[in-house]
Amino acid sequence: MSAAAGSGTNHLPTIAVEGLTGCAGELLVILENLDKLLPFVRVVRFPFAQSKNEGGAVDITFVEGSVSQKHDLEKLKRIRANTRWLVAVGNCAVWGCVQKGALCKCKAAEMIEAVYGSAASSIAAEAMDAAPLDSHVAVDVKLSGCPINASQFLAVTASLLRDHLPYIVSKPVCLECKLRENPCVLIEDNLPCLGPVTAAGCGALCPSMGAACYGCFGPCEEPQIGAMTTILKEKGYEMEEVLGRLTAFGAVIPMGEKWQK
Amino acid sequence: MAEIKKSTIVIPEVTRVEGHSAVTVDILDGKVENVKLDVFEGTRYFEKIVVGHKYDEMAHLTSRICAICSTGHVLASIFAIENLLGYKADEKTTLLRELMHLGMIIESHATHLCALVLPDFLGVEDLISFADKHKEEFALWTFLRTLGNDVQYMVGGRSFHPVNLHVFKLSSHPSGEALNVMAHRLKDAREKALYLAQVFLDLKLPAIPSFEPEYLALDYDSPTYGYFGTRVKSSKSWLRSIEEYRDYLGEYPVAYSHAKKSGNAAQPFMVGAIARLRFHSEKLGREARQLFLSSELAKGSCNTMLNNLAQSIELVEAVYRAQAICETLLQIEEDEKASPGEARNENETNIDRLLDKLPGAAVGAVECPRGTLYHYYDLDEKGVVRAADLITPSAQNTQRIESDIRNTVEARIAEVEDGARQALLQADLETLVRAYDPCNTCATHAVSIRVAKR
Repeated sequence: MSAAAGSGTNHLPTIAVEGLTGCAGELLVILENLDKLLPFVRVVRFPFAQSKNEGGAVDITFVEGSVSQKHDLEKLKRIRANTRWLVAVGNCAVWGCVQKGALCKCKAAEMIEAVYGSAASSIAAEAMDAAPLDSHVAVDVKLSGCPINASQFLAVTASLLRDHLPYIVSKPVCLECKLRENPCVLIEDNLPCLGPVTAAGCGALCPSMGAACYGCFGPCEEPQIGAMTTILKEKGYEMEEVLGRLTAFGAVIPMGEKWQK
Repeated sequence: MAEIKKSTIVIPEVTRVEGHSAVTVDILDGKVENVKLDVFEGTRYFEKIVVGHKYDEMAHLTSRICAICSTGHVLASIFAIENLLGYKADEKTTLLRELMHLGMIIESHATHLCALVLPDFLGVEDLISFADKHKEEFALWTFLRTLGNDVQYMVGGRSFHPVNLHVFKLSSHPSGEALNVMAHRLKDAREKALYLAQVFLDLKLPAIPSFEPEYLALDYDSPTYGYFGTRVKSSKSWLRSIEEYRDYLGEYPVAYSHAKKSGNAAQPFMVGAIARLRFHSEKLGREARQLFLSSELAKGSCNTMLNNLAQSIELVEAVYRAQAICETLLQIEEDEKASPGEARNENETNIDRLLDKLPGAAVGAVECPRGTLYHYYDLDEKGVVRAADLITPSAQNTQRIESDIRNTVEARIAEVEDGARQALLQADLETLVRAYDPCNTCATHAVSIRVAKR
């Protein structure tokens, strides 16, 4: 960018968008909504989308992905040191998503060995147990979703640009489902719907299409795991399968621990 | 005797690709010794993540491998399980799956071509200057990407990580009204897709000294240009069932990278749009075929940079084909209204009877935007996954990318130790890697050349 063009946006708040280990879904959602933000912010770092990336202090950094290797952790610590607001975006960054979910049934070393065989040792030296961002650094805002809801992302950004922390509720999916007046796929169709224990934000997407919620936004506030498992058992689902479904999308700690009690 | 010089070109992070990767080229005494494409995206062990989960969870779990080709993973997993159970989906389901896939092709190709590739040729480095100085191209991307997303939204419920596609069926069908609106939007998009293809047809490409790779792509009976099949065709004129993928691919992990790679060193594979067009160009519609025939692709050029043009031709075809599918689906709906009862019940799936075929194992494959994707599952008698194997297109292309980098550096070895020319070489290497549209989240950004002397 020429110096003249640059001076035009220099007064704007700065944002950065970074990815750790994940599917790049949040990067894609942010990229697709960037045209709505460009009048209000200057994008100083977004390696997924641009070649010219600056270092240094940033007002807001959005980070997607889980911490799954030493390289991720070093990068995250650098990001934290340089940003005012750190926003964890997506299930990976907030809960650890499927790579965290898998850790409740198997150790990381076993997985590396199984997937990479003889090349495992060099990969193991770099690998870490997949974990959400707040396991390692302080996180200012957690916006879950797999992928995140674009409207929620824009609302969070607008809030931070006004200098206050956004209010994010995580009531169960059932709440949104009832508002859409859907028939209950769990009660009426006996589908293994995880809506009662999953955070809303998607607009009750799956049940609105006649399918079971599979928990991709992570757990809601105070998830009633005991009641959820009782209903699924009554519907004829085996405990093994119920546990598998409940832990798949990374909500291992709140769900797994409560379930074990 | 001249002093022996050892230099290394390092691209620590290739930008504007999906995922994280680095390129290292070791040069000893004016000769390229070693080329490494290092994918340092964190390991995610999907083959292990899926073990212990039921067959109907595979679409949702494997979708998370990659956002951009999530639809491809969803479909490959569904096809693998349906192949295993000997299930053939009805016409409507098959058409909706194809429509969903075309939505992904439109979105992924548009994002790769406009947002990731074009900035190299327009000479812009950041998004603000791209949006600001090239309003037309930026708007073209927004338009086509939104179109592809909305097709996926309509069929799958989300623009990626779809929730509506399942083994055996879709949980809901788009309304006639939605299909009608989409058919019109697709028709209106033709001109823009054709314009983008013309931009790529007119581009002056950097010469990449490539040699002919072994092209691989799915083969199918459908009379239209497609992305699904159960056989693979090779440019070495063999045709094999995807069930034999291990024999012809031979994927192996490498110590320096988190992505596995496939192939034989002597003649690397290339999968993706060039390979697909090489085998199936006669199945293209009139407009896409004309574009193909007027390009170097029709003369059999193996210049990797043509992959961008090949994708733009596929984008044109996808827009036309997606419109045709919407219209066919509307027609099916009309027919169903005219004779209710007839169409519906033939496909009442008896799931329990199908599951009698378990335990067992099978392979499913789709042509993703960047090439053939394979999913293999071994299910126990309850339909729980005992083992899985997932082979991504980027893994199949890694060796060819490395060999292209080697050839390019060898041809331009004089530039390595010359400041300004070195920067140009670096930029061209990044452009080259980008042409493959590597999706390293499935399998891996700024360039710097480090010259070490000993």
